[in-house]
Amino acid sequence: MPVTDSPSEAIRTSGLRKSFRVKDRELAAVSGLDLTVAPGQIFGFLGPNGAGKTTTLRILTTLLAPDAGEAFVAGADVRRSPQLVRRRIGYVGQLGGADASATGRENLLLQGRLYGLSAAETGRRADELIDVFDLGAFADRTARSYSGGQRRRLEVALGIMHRPPVLFLDEPTTGLDPQNRANLWDQLRRLRAAGTTVFLTTHYLDEADQLSDRLAIIDHGRLIAEGAPAELKRRYSGNIIAITPSLPPESLPSLERDLAGGPFVRDARAADGSIRLSVTDATQAMAAAFGLLAARGIGIRAASLAQPSLDDVFLRETGRSLRDAGAPAGEPAGEQVAA
Amino acid sequence: MMFVLHAGLFFRRKLLETLRQPVWIVTGLSTPLLYLALFEPLLRSVAGGAGLPAGQVLDVFVPGILALMAFGAGMGAGWVVIWELDSGVIERLRVTPASRLALLLGTVLRDVVMFAVPAVVVIAVAVGFGFSAHWGGLALLLLLLAALTAACSATSSALGIRLKQIGSLAAVVTGVQLPLTLLSGILLPLSLGPAWLRVLGHLNPMYYAVEAARDLAVGTITTVTVGIGFLVTAAAAALALWWGTRSYQKAMA
Repeated sequence: MPVTDSPSEAIRTSGLRKSFRVKDRELAAVSGLDLTVAPGQIFGFLGPNGAGKTTTLRILTTLLAPDAGEAFVAGADVRRSPQLVRRRIGYVGQLGGADASATGRENLLLQGRLYGLSAAETGRRADELIDVFDLGAFADRTARSYSGGQRRRLEVALGIMHRPPVLFLDEPTTGLDPQNRANLWDQLRRLRAAGTTVFLTTHYLDEADQLSDRLAIIDHGRLIAEGAPAELKRRYSGNIIAITPSLPPESLPSLERDLAGGPFVRDARAADGSIRLSVTDATQAMAAAFGLLAARGIGIRAASLAQPSLDDVFLRETGRSLRDAGAPAGEPAGEQVAA
Repeated sequence: MMFVLHAGLFFRRKLLETLRQPVWIVTGLSTPLLYLALFEPLLRSVAGGAGLPAGQVLDVFVPGILALMAFGAGMGAGWVVIWELDSGVIERLRVTPASRLALLLGTVLRDVVMFAVPAVVVIAVAVGFGFSAHWGGLALLLLLLAALTAACSATSSALGIRLKQIGSLAAVVTGVQLPLTLLSGILLPLSLGPAWLRVLGHLNPMYYAVEAARDLAVGTITTVTVGIGFLVTAAAAALALWWGTRSYQKAMA
């Protein structure tokens, strides 16, 4: 599928590939990624650590050249016109990137000048962002003295200093406390309201779910699902029943098979000591499952009825839980019915 | 024009960074002055041979100390580069339209200033000790050693980006420092040594800068040694700037 320079797309990739040589072995970080992001939305890029999120982001931000495939960002070709891409995007990396030995204001002023804003314009824009991100109390102190949340605010401000149409953020809320996290979400929503396309990677399920308009789930460098969070959850699973039997983990697989054969059950997967059933009729399926467990004399430690979570989507597609894949994850909203 | 503006912005940023850590300014000055105060009397008492005539100890010693200052001012660059890699500063700047050469030059120019300012102080103090200054020669000497500083600074930045670890960088820099400085005749001219030592010296690019600096210090400008010194040092600086720029293009934490 050819990629065209179309203004109706903020980001578009086709057949994107990148591998790294690690001790004489080719390790594919991104293997054939096709992605389209419409402008003016928050696009979440979800996957466990090592899924290829950061590599993809580095290709899209011109930090890394792809081995194969095409990528257009804000209407410019990442490979052929990286300078054009750089002028049109903002980037907030995982490491942050604020210069600790300069003050917050100096950081902003340098950033603005690098994008070709005049000194006067840069000054005005810096004042504006210092106000918007509530940096006023410490804007003239060196960034070394900033708290984690203050520094992250400065870094996001740096990313949007030149009002880029597309903003990339790599795991922006990692390490932030809940309040700063909520603040950042608000800021990103405000940017979207102003028409900016926000592309962010995350390994937090709740962040991808609540913040993004659309999201892509990737694993081992491949796209495994893409769509609006609610749509994905609907498409990939019905209701979810989670049962924690009082059984040792090694006997879960056989129980998983038996429960999967029950009425109204689409499939069953054991993860984290419990079994999650994807069902078409929750009440009927739960009664049948309880009956089966009672008949075998297996106790029930906990059981809950849950809305499907993005983890269920991940589980269905990869056979693994995003949690097992090494990523912390938010709990899906659940309703405790038995203890 | 964007390039000149960016190089100027990065230079300003680096200069501010240094001025906020005055300890480096103090140590940058105290080391050469201590050499002058504590080592020069030793030299004076052993002088009297062919390579080191008794009356010309300062003519031999001051250019050597200045070359050592150039080396020291440049070779520190890599440490900060590693810190900037780890904190994401370089990654952020690489996503801006800024030229990578401009980014490198910010540090290089700062290091040249951090060499030149104390160098002028050291020359003034040396004059107090009895060093006879030939101003035209000294101006060229500072220019030559500024190029040496630039070569060292760009090399150190490139090493920092490629080695990524403070420990590895420290091992490499301290590992090359002694052979490079000894084999350039910084403290004592190599002409005092045996033939094999002089041959080894000719393999060291710094040797040519130090030899040329000794000619320039006594005011002899139009010698072959001076010409070769400028050629070798300019080539080393150009090569180092090219390598440093390439390293910045690929820099990744």
